[in-house]
Amino acid sequence: MKKIKISWLALKNLKRKFIRTFVLLLLVAVVTGTLLSATIFISGMQNALRIGTYRLGADVLVVPEKNESQAKAALLSGEPTSFYMDGDVYDKVKDVEGVKRASTQLFIKPTSFTCCYNVETFLVAFDPSTDFTVTPWLQKKLKKPLADDEVIAGSAMPLMTDDIIPFFGTPFNVAGTLEPTGMKFFDQSIFMTMQAAFEMAEKSKGRSVQPLELEKGKISAVLVQVEDGFTPERVAIRIEHQIEGIKAIASDEVTSTVRRQLAGLLKGILLISAILWILALLMTGFSFYMIVNERQRELGLLRAMGATKTHVFRLIITEAVILSLAGGIAGIVAGGGLLSVSKAVITRNLKLPYLLPSLPVLTELAAGALIFAVITGLLASLLPAVFASSMEPYDAIRKGE
Amino acid sequence: MIEVSDIVKSYSIGGQALKAVDHASFTVQQGEIISVIGHSGSGKTTLLSLVGGLTKPDSGKVIVDGTDIWSLDDNSRSHFRNRNMSFIYQFSSLIPTLTSLENILLPTAFGDFPGDVRAYAEELIERVGLKEKTNAYPSHLSGGQQRRIAIARAFINRPSVVLADEPTGDLDEETEQDIIRLFSEMNGALKTTFIIVTHNKEIAGQAARQLRMSNGILTGAA
Repeated sequence: MKKIKISWLALKNLKRKFIRTFVLLLLVAVVTGTLLSATIFISGMQNALRIGTYRLGADVLVVPEKNESQAKAALLSGEPTSFYMDGDVYDKVKDVEGVKRASTQLFIKPTSFTCCYNVETFLVAFDPSTDFTVTPWLQKKLKKPLADDEVIAGSAMPLMTDDIIPFFGTPFNVAGTLEPTGMKFFDQSIFMTMQAAFEMAEKSKGRSVQPLELEKGKISAVLVQVEDGFTPERVAIRIEHQIEGIKAIASDEVTSTVRRQLAGLLKGILLISAILWILALLMTGFSFYMIVNERQRELGLLRAMGATKTHVFRLIITEAVILSLAGGIAGIVAGGGLLSVSKAVITRNLKLPYLLPSLPVLTELAAGALIFAVITGLLASLLPAVFASSMEPYDAIRKGE
Repeated sequence: MIEVSDIVKSYSIGGQALKAVDHASFTVQQGEIISVIGHSGSGKTTLLSLVGGLTKPDSGKVIVDGTDIWSLDDNSRSHFRNRNMSFIYQFSSLIPTLTSLENILLPTAFGDFPGDVRAYAEELIERVGLKEKTNAYPSHLSGGQQRRIAIARAFINRPSVVLADEPTGDLDEETEQDIIRLFSEMNGALKTTFIIVTHNKEIAGQAARQLRMSNGILTGAA
């Protein structure tokens, strides 16, 4: 030890009132942790929504009128569902003005009697001859057309390539697995061809305890891509106008529901965070005011020893920075840990898509949270530090008596 | 050398101006030990603070080693204190979370101290007879030992002036004599100027010269 450093002195001062320092540190940690986990959570949902919407690939989804909410639930939260309508809806939809391309899909909800896994899964069958939504990203993974005895599994399914999985008594080879998207519709689904689905239904009558009731020619949904110059909403209205008994859901409508939910959630989280932040700011500021007040004589003595106003100001500010930095780091660790533990529970209850942001984004968010914590400490200690540094040394020594 | 000329300091109490120091003038030669005696509230401590640059006078001049300290800005005055002056108080002025050695080194946080300050701090702690208490915290020191550490700290910057405000107050007679002996030793070794404020006539009598303070008025100044 040669000279005494201000930062070392600040650290010693913080250790002096350990419980008070610990409580303040905890407060900063709670605020930082809450803010960080909320930001990661929101960012994760937006991330999932962006990727999921892109993956959906269709501008309009046409489903039976009475099954609109089931279809939305399937898309948003991957809730398995089964509903069917006549296949001629496809022919009518593709003739509607503004429709560039259309393709059919079947949604099949397997039961525990028909599948070997207890994991909630959702079968989605598509028509490879017309499909423009699933095939592009299946091809990226598979590099060849999907055969009728093959399936592709979502990332959340406990399956590996070359596994064999039976549905309704028909075994299927797992041709590949997909990257995670955060949307259960993709992550918890098994994709097969339309032909495979009808064959599976036919064979299930003799093979399965609970056969699949699916008539040849039925479909669950028609996916539509609109022509340039047409908006999905406008085409959806035309489709509904021309075809009876169906509901045309524009993709924006699906995501806007999530966005509405997200906006509400965001408001709530922001409000809680703001209240917590103001509370932390006031409490830390008040504590630092008390610290300065009870150390008036000591600060006066430091001035008598030759400390300048800047030295005193720096001492108080350094204490605040050390405290908020430590609180910030603790909050980041705790917030991150808490989020990873509770993520599954929250997403299940909220029924919203979620995909953890990438490492660079997470690092940016953590750095932002740390900066936020330090700024909080700086703001809270600013007035007490100005007060401490502006005291006349003799007054400070006398008032501390 | 300290030259105080016509210095005035007043406080406003209940709307009335009270002169704590009323046109005080005196000179202290380099290496001289003087005492300022007077009753409580006579203005002794205020006078010491004016000389030490801790409180601003209403008028008058304080020149220490040729520098008019009240013509300096606050930063320069702080640096001047850090390099040339030290204070010793009646109350415990040690920082409770610092060891004896760390307390002695405390002024080094606020200025440039050439050489091995740690070695010098250890020398000082030995000189005040508390080598075995180098790493002890103030709570493990008696009142007299704490005062000795404060005295050792007062010399870390090799000051030309030490301003002591009731340095032996609250101490037993034996410790009191030890401290006065220590002042004499330091004065002999370093030619440091001492201004000792006290209401103890016996302590005051050991100084080369005595000034008396009564109701803010200084008498006996040469």
